[in-house]
Amino acid sequence: MNKEYLIEKWLKGDLTDSEMEVFSQLEDYQFNMDILESAKHFNASHFSNIDDFETFKKERLTNKEVHKLNWLQPLIRIASVVIIAFGIYFTFFYNHLTRVQTLASEKTTIELPDYSKVTLNALSEIEYHKADWENNRLLKLKGEAYFKVAKGKIFDVVTTDGIVTVVGTEFNVKQRDNYFEVKCFEGVVEVTSDTIIRQLKAGDTYQILNGKFIHKKTTYKVPQWTHNISNFNGIPLYEIIAELERQYNLKVTFKNVDINRIFTGGFVHDNIENALISITEPMNLNYEISTSNQVVIHGDKK
Amino acid sequence: MPKDLHDNICKESVFESIYNKYSKDLHNFLYYKYGEQFNPNDKAQDAFIKLWDNCKNVTLSKAKSFLFTVANNMVLNDIKHQKVVLKYKQIKPKHYTNETPEFILEQEQFLERYKEALANLSEEYRIAFLLNKVEGKRHNEIAELLGVTRKVVEYRIYKAFNSLKSELEGFKIK
Repeated sequence: MNKEYLIEKWLKGDLTDSEMEVFSQLEDYQFNMDILESAKHFNASHFSNIDDFETFKKERLTNKEVHKLNWLQPLIRIASVVIIAFGIYFTFFYNHLTRVQTLASEKTTIELPDYSKVTLNALSEIEYHKADWENNRLLKLKGEAYFKVAKGKIFDVVTTDGIVTVVGTEFNVKQRDNYFEVKCFEGVVEVTSDTIIRQLKAGDTYQILNGKFIHKKTTYKVPQWTHNISNFNGIPLYEIIAELERQYNLKVTFKNVDINRIFTGGFVHDNIENALISITEPMNLNYEISTSNQVVIHGDKK
Repeated sequence: MPKDLHDNICKESVFESIYNKYSKDLHNFLYYKYGEQFNPNDKAQDAFIKLWDNCKNVTLSKAKSFLFTVANNMVLNDIKHQKVVLKYKQIKPKHYTNETPEFILEQEQFLERYKEALANLSEEYRIAFLLNKVEGKRHNEIAELLGVTRKVVEYRIYKAFNSLKSELEGFKIK
C-alpha cells in the first residue's frame, strides 16, 4: 500500500482496521501523530473568544434601535403631525384676529361674542379678537360703525384718531380723512383723542374736523346712514362727496367748484340721481354722470 | 408567509438564538483563518451587527452563510498583507508523563516552528486543516462553511498536513 494513500485515508478518518495496522507501523507514524496532536496547541479558545450574547447586546446592540420598537416610529410620526396641526390651529384660531370689511356701497351688521352689535358703513373695517373677547375687549375701527353695546359691557373702540370707551351704550364712530366724529345715542361714552377727553351722553356729538374740535348735538336716535340716508350739518362739501363716493362706489371729479363750502343736508343711498340732486341743487351746482360710476360736478350754470 | 413571520431575525429572541448558535464557530473561523491580530471577536460581532441591520432582508436559512461571508469580507478589507500569527499554548499533552527540561525546550522550539509553518500555509489550507483537526468539524460541515465541495476540503487538509510535515522535518523526535 502506498504511504501517501494511507496518510490520505488517515487524515479523512477512513482507515479500515487492517489499513490502520499498516499505518501504525510506518516509520514516521509517531511524527504524523505529533503533527496532529500539536495542532491542538493552537486552539482558538485559548487565546480569543467571542463575547456572549448578553455582553454583545449590551455593548453593541443597545446603541442600535431595537426593532421591537418599530411600531413606535410611525406612532411618533403621527403624534408629531397631530401636535403640529394643533399648534397651527391654535395659532390661527385661538388668538385669531377677526376682521370684517365693507366695500363701497356695502353695509353690514355683525354680532360680537357678547351680543353687542356693530353695523359697518361702506368702506369700513373692524378688527377684534373673537375667541378672546371676554378678556380682550378691544376693537379697531377704520371708517364708520354704529355700536349697540350689550348692557353692562365695557369695551374700547380704537381708531387712529381717537379711542372711545363705552359702557352699555349706542353710539356711532366715524373716522375718515381728517374727520373724526363720535355720536352718542344712548348711555355714556368717553372719547379720547389726543388731549381732548370728553364724556358724551345721549345726543352729544364729539367732532374733530381738520384738527378742530367741536362739541355738537344730535336729535336722532340712531345714525341716519343705518336707514340708508346720510345727513350732514355744517360739513365741508368734499366730505359729503366722499361719503357719496363710498355709498355709490363712484368717482367724482370737480370743475369750478369750491369744495370747502359748508353743506347742511343729506342724500339717499338708493337713488343716485336723487342723491346728486340733493347735493347739487342747494349748492347751485350741476352734475353729469358720464359712465356708471363717474360723475362730474361743475359749478357752471347750465 | 406565516412561517417567515415566526422565523423573523428582527425578533430579538430569534436573533439571540442565531448568535448563540453561530458566534463561536464564526469567531473560530476568523481566528484560524486570519489569526488574532485582526480581532476575530470584534469582527465576528460586526458581522452579527450587520445581520441585525439587514434582518428584514435575510431569512433564517440564509443567516449562517450571510454571517460567514460578511465576516470574511470584513477581515479581507482590513488585511494589508500582514503575516498571520497564531498563538500556541503549552498544554500538557496527555500521553507524556515525564518531561525533561531538554524535552520542554525542544517542544518549545517545535511549537515555535509549527507556528511559523501554520502561518506560511495558504489561508484556505490552514482553515480547513484547523477546523477539522482542532475544532473537530466534519469535512462536509467545513465544505458548507467554505462554499466548496467535500473533496476540495479533503484535498486542502492533505496539502496542509504535507506542508507542515515538510517544514517540521527537522524536528522528528526519535
